[in-house]
Amino acid sequence: MLKGKLKFIIAILVIALGISYLVYGGVKDTMVYYLTVEELQQRVPSVYNERVRVSGTVVPGTINQDTDGALEFQITEDGNNIDVVYGGVVPDIFKDDVEAVVEGVYTERNVFEADTLLAKCPTKYESTDSLYQQQNYSGDESY
Amino acid sequence: MVETGKISILLAFAISIYVVLASVYGAKTNRRDFVKSARNGTVAVFILLFIAIISLLHSLINLDFSLKYVALNTSTDLPVIYRITSLWAGQAGSLLLWVFILSIYSAIVVLQTKNKNRALMPYVIATLGAVSVFFLFITAFVENPFEKLAFVPQEGRGLNPILQNVYMAIHPVTLYLGYVGVTVPFAFGMGALLSGRLGDEWIRYSRKWTLFAWTFLSVGLLLGARWAYLELGWGGYWAWDPVENAAFMPWLAGTAFVHSVMIQEKKGMLKKWNMSLIIITFFLAIFGTFITRSGIISSVHSFAQSDIGPLFLGFIAFILLFSFAMFLYRLGDLESENRFDSILSRESAFIFNNLLFLGAAFAVFLGTLFPIISEAVTGEKILVGSPYFNRVNVPIGLLLIFLMGVGPLISWRKASRENLAKNFLVPVIAAAVTAAVLIALGIREIYALLSYAFCAFVSMTVFTEFFRGVRVRSRRGENPLLAFTRLVSRNRRRYGGYIVHIGVVLIVIGITSSSVFVTEIQATLEKGESVSLRDYTFTYEGIEQYTTDAKNATVASLAAFEGGKDIGVIEPEKNVYKYEGNREINQETEVALRSTFTNDLYVILMNFSNDGSATFRIIINPMVSWIWAGGLVLLLGAIVTMWPEGRKEREGAFVRYTLGEKDSTVKA
Repeated sequence: MLKGKLKFIIAILVIALGISYLVYGGVKDTMVYYLTVEELQQRVPSVYNERVRVSGTVVPGTINQDTDGALEFQITEDGNNIDVVYGGVVPDIFKDDVEAVVEGVYTERNVFEADTLLAKCPTKYESTDSLYQQQNYSGDESY
Repeated sequence: MVETGKISILLAFAISIYVVLASVYGAKTNRRDFVKSARNGTVAVFILLFIAIISLLHSLINLDFSLKYVALNTSTDLPVIYRITSLWAGQAGSLLLWVFILSIYSAIVVLQTKNKNRALMPYVIATLGAVSVFFLFITAFVENPFEKLAFVPQEGRGLNPILQNVYMAIHPVTLYLGYVGVTVPFAFGMGALLSGRLGDEWIRYSRKWTLFAWTFLSVGLLLGARWAYLELGWGGYWAWDPVENAAFMPWLAGTAFVHSVMIQEKKGMLKKWNMSLIIITFFLAIFGTFITRSGIISSVHSFAQSDIGPLFLGFIAFILLFSFAMFLYRLGDLESENRFDSILSRESAFIFNNLLFLGAAFAVFLGTLFPIISEAVTGEKILVGSPYFNRVNVPIGLLLIFLMGVGPLISWRKASRENLAKNFLVPVIAAAVTAAVLIALGIREIYALLSYAFCAFVSMTVFTEFFRGVRVRSRRGENPLLAFTRLVSRNRRRYGGYIVHIGVVLIVIGITSSSVFVTEIQATLEKGESVSLRDYTFTYEGIEQYTTDAKNATVASLAAFEGGKDIGVIEPEKNVYKYEGNREINQETEVALRSTFTNDLYVILMNFSNDGSATFRIIINPMVSWIWAGGLVLLLGAIVTMWPEGRKEREGAFVRYTLGEKDSTVKA
């Protein structure tokens, strides 16, 4: 009976160790620092060619899309701007002034080459300021 | 109407508090009138919340912009159907819906258990009441959907257009039905702990609720995946996003629970384990609601900005502390009645199934919370992305599929060599042949090979089970079809479970094929130019722009050929909607999708220029439709397992239950 118990304990141990190993390896190889624009600029040059994720607001008027699909824009946070180049599918909500999250590599030309672009509605989490600020809500904005 | 809704919520809150107190007091002092009054209170809460929901819907449909919730989530140009669905577009509405669904379930529990188990039930009712007290507190005092604005705007902010889609209309509700459904088995578990009736009544009474919640979680996850696939336009259906993980974690723990309760019912083992599992599953369901509603993880905003964040965390802490304190208090009464005999047995297959599911849940939990944990520990926000989740979960998933084939055919207690040879020879051969054929066809991806081979293994074991059952009945002179239907209808739990497994196999085949063998190409084409991918060729025929009442549409046309055969014109679109929900979206990309059982053609119009050229991304996604088909099979199997039993079985069950009531150690 003891032998049976021991077998069980060994099997459970193997599963626990296996999963822990997968978790450890997964974290080690896929972890990405999530930086603000300012932190990114502070970490030059060590940050060059290291995969990072950065978030900031899209600077109005900087979005420029080539016909071959490459998208160029700037993101800013507290007055610090960086240039971003991105070649993938652009989310529909991406436009001036949205909160954008990019993941990729900051190159030595000081351009962020992103392979992931996420955009978030500023109101997604129900900030109601916009409603309160515009007492005469008319609904004919910028469209 | 607004005042009615407001008052209903407040009354429901007050009555919920009364329900908890009266139910516990009645149980402690044996005052049956108090218990009965608590049960009536539970039904009253349901009626009040029904009125509240109707009032809010009334305001939404009639666009009463004096309400903040209505102004934030609707607009005058929104079709009525989406005015209704905006009930769960925002936080206040979703939380009201959550507690409304809970009140429906609680009322059904009350009506179902009229004269059952007088010792256990008052505590079950009290637990359900306590959960609704929390949600009603938030709904009444923190996030009230009936909150008025200081002024009445002319126009509301509208509903985000990506939410204006049939899947988004039903997917949140489906998930909620699942999330909230987990509360019922949890309440039964707590009822068992509080009343000290730790036999398996709590599991028997809540079994169908568990299956019901699990089914809705499963279907909700699949609907969400389908919505992402059709609407988000990046070609995938699952991204390990925090919100997706939020629903996936309770599903993982819940799946473990669905399996491990069988061991307790059959063998009287794993009592502690089951109790812990249901607590963990409920914790993950509440946690999932919290992640989804607060946006804490994906959001770059600080956590303190969310009003409900601290409240939720406090509630979660309370649940965990209270449940596990009760659990430790009753630990002595949760001893198993049987022991494990052998590692080669069905019991141990279940144990490993549970460990793997929990391991996966833990890994997903860790990965989802990683930014928060790392920030707390190191001061740096560190993320782990999809690669992490895939690396951890794919091997676990493969082992689980393997076990899915082993579990049903291996004997209880201790598998003999004959048992193994008799049951597994054919399925093992099927798996080996599958792998050999695929290798011969040139497939070298090890995970894909294992996945397909295990799927063949599982399918063969399930087929064997059905085949044997039908054969035994046929020998008694039933024709095969009748034998088959009787086999299933007389053993619904078992064969329904097998049908669910077949659904899972189909889903796994779909996921494996579409993630390992997806191909894509991006091309900028002038009018008349062509591009090829695999054996498809696409010729760009030009772009058309037109205006309707609702939108300014831009439609590109691609003539598609498969191996030289004309398969028609594919038309991806980019539209600008005139009634711009939320007024935050420039345009909406409408993917062109042509779906067959072998391939999905998924074409995105990325952009176009005035000179007539356009950029396309073309994705060939093999066998994605197997995932949705598997979902339907899974749903069918789940319905079979939950289907009410006939009279004869009920009588047998009644005898067992009444014996169990008197003396829970008597085993039927």
